[in-house]
Amino acid sequence: MSTLALLLTQVVNALSQSALLFFLGVGLTLIFGIMRIVNFAHGALYMLGAFVGYSLAHWAGTFWLALVLAPLIVGAVGAAFELGILRRLYRRDASAFLLVTFGLALVVTEAVRLIWGPDALQVPAPKLFSGVVFLLGEPFPAYRLFLVAAGAVMAIAIWQALERTRLGLLIRATSQNAEMVHALGIDVNLVRSGVFGIGCGLAALGGVLAAPLVTASHAMASTVIIDAFVIVIIGGMGSFAGSLIGALLVGFVQVFGNYYLPDFALAFMYLLMLLVLVVRPGGLLGKEA
Amino acid sequence: MRWPRALGLAFVALLIAAPFGLPAFAMTLLTELVILGLFAMSLDLMVGYTRLISFGHVAAYGLGAYASGYMLLNTSLPLPFVVILATLLTGVIAIGVGWVCTLATGVSFAMLTLAFAQLLYAIAFKWTSVTGGSDGLAGIPRRAGPMGLTLLTTKTGFYYFALACLIGSFLLCRKLVASPFGAVLRGIRENEAKTVSLGFNTRLYKIAVVAIAYALGGLAGALYAPFAGFANTELLFWLLSGQVLIMVIVGGSGTLIGPILGAAFFLLLEHQLSSVTEAWALFFGLIFIGFVLFAPEGIWGLATGWVKRREKPLAKVRLRD
Repeated sequence: MSTLALLLTQVVNALSQSALLFFLGVGLTLIFGIMRIVNFAHGALYMLGAFVGYSLAHWAGTFWLALVLAPLIVGAVGAAFELGILRRLYRRDASAFLLVTFGLALVVTEAVRLIWGPDALQVPAPKLFSGVVFLLGEPFPAYRLFLVAAGAVMAIAIWQALERTRLGLLIRATSQNAEMVHALGIDVNLVRSGVFGIGCGLAALGGVLAAPLVTASHAMASTVIIDAFVIVIIGGMGSFAGSLIGALLVGFVQVFGNYYLPDFALAFMYLLMLLVLVVRPGGLLGKEA
Repeated sequence: MRWPRALGLAFVALLIAAPFGLPAFAMTLLTELVILGLFAMSLDLMVGYTRLISFGHVAAYGLGAYASGYMLLNTSLPLPFVVILATLLTGVIAIGVGWVCTLATGVSFAMLTLAFAQLLYAIAFKWTSVTGGSDGLAGIPRRAGPMGLTLLTTKTGFYYFALACLIGSFLLCRKLVASPFGAVLRGIRENEAKTVSLGFNTRLYKIAVVAIAYALGGLAGALYAPFAGFANTELLFWLLSGQVLIMVIVGGSGTLIGPILGAAFFLLLEHQLSSVTEAWALFFGLIFIGFVLFAPEGIWGLATGWVKRREKPLAKVRLRD
């Protein structure tokens, strides 16, 4: 394998990893921006997405339906959680949210184990992308290329939605000054439910997309939540562009670190996070210290 | 204020008498409970008294456990010295951790503590020659104490040692939070800007409380390694950080005794539920959510609130006089 081809496959690998991480990070950062909540259940909802996707894919016989429906279902679960429980707690301090989202993570993880059993489940990649493509003469899984494209499309879609739609406007306004938005006659609570649902749905989308790559397993929740935290912290909590930059940085550090310096790859990610926080305590694009 | 002290002494007496009445498996659970209680109480200094929420308190626990495990396996130092050294080592390292982490506040502070804990986790995984890698350190002995003291090698003797550490640390923490130092900590908790304007260098106080909290957390870890006979990366996994934070909050933060009760509640509930149902974590999660909704002050808050409510009618009568 030529050096160039190797480098190219590594770069595409890192980009596909970044795409998966981006879905997690952007949901987490949206939720934080609006509600100042660090959602500990994010990893569990990502996992829930993968398992719901598995069932839907088997039931409908097509991956594409799962890709659309699973995020909607998990998003609805998230919105219901906001309506039923989080809404009662906005006057309380941060520890309350920590406890309830941690509780939700336990409940979701255990519910998944009860419903789908303890084993990891194989989700086949969609037929269209199950083969390989050749990059500079080297075979490469087509599904990873699809992930890169999906990540890029979603990033642009979310960015445009935030910039150009009314909902995007409300989300940005609420994250800057919720009281003012409320005073202008907008139901801020509805925005919060919506954003929590959307954030959870995005995590689930990441889960469904990751499933063909890593199989749907219970371990995916606890490892991935820390990655998501790292991304959001590096990028700056509440910053959309920050979550994109964070996902790219972490994706590249993970893939290249694992290949070239496997002994230090894990430590690199946290060193990167420490470094960013020491230099800019609010993250690269964050506002608050 | 007399009844809490009487109750506390009665409780301590019960704990001291426990080995005479409880079967062996219950004593194992109780020893673990004492160690976890110490761990949770150490975090309360930061969370409850200074409002420094840490997502990475396992760093202290794991450091203490690995340090004591390594020393017990590779040196011939007696157990109490090992535990003291591991505690001091954790405290000294925590000065550096505190210095870095207090550059930030709020959520960023929490995330920095998490980053540091994860860094240790990564190191423990990879530095195989010292930490044993993914296997961890196994076969850690409860070595005989100084001057041929063999008490600590027995389970009961070790339980008393752990209990003494817990009670000693509790008394130390109580003195600390009642001292002028503790008043500054509470000042930081309530309004840091005001405390700064009163002329206190709050950063130094925060670094100091991080160092003390980590040292005591390290003490708990240093006890856990010889208790369990192993130290592995699970002692540095972030999940335990979340769990200990929950013990503090469920027990009642800012009370010292609450987190110990929280740890007991956590451990006993886990033990009971897991013997009844495989899906114990499900009920665990529901109970946490219930606590936040219906008992925001935690277990200790519930207990003292109940006592206060009973005393209230009397107070009203006196007011009318």
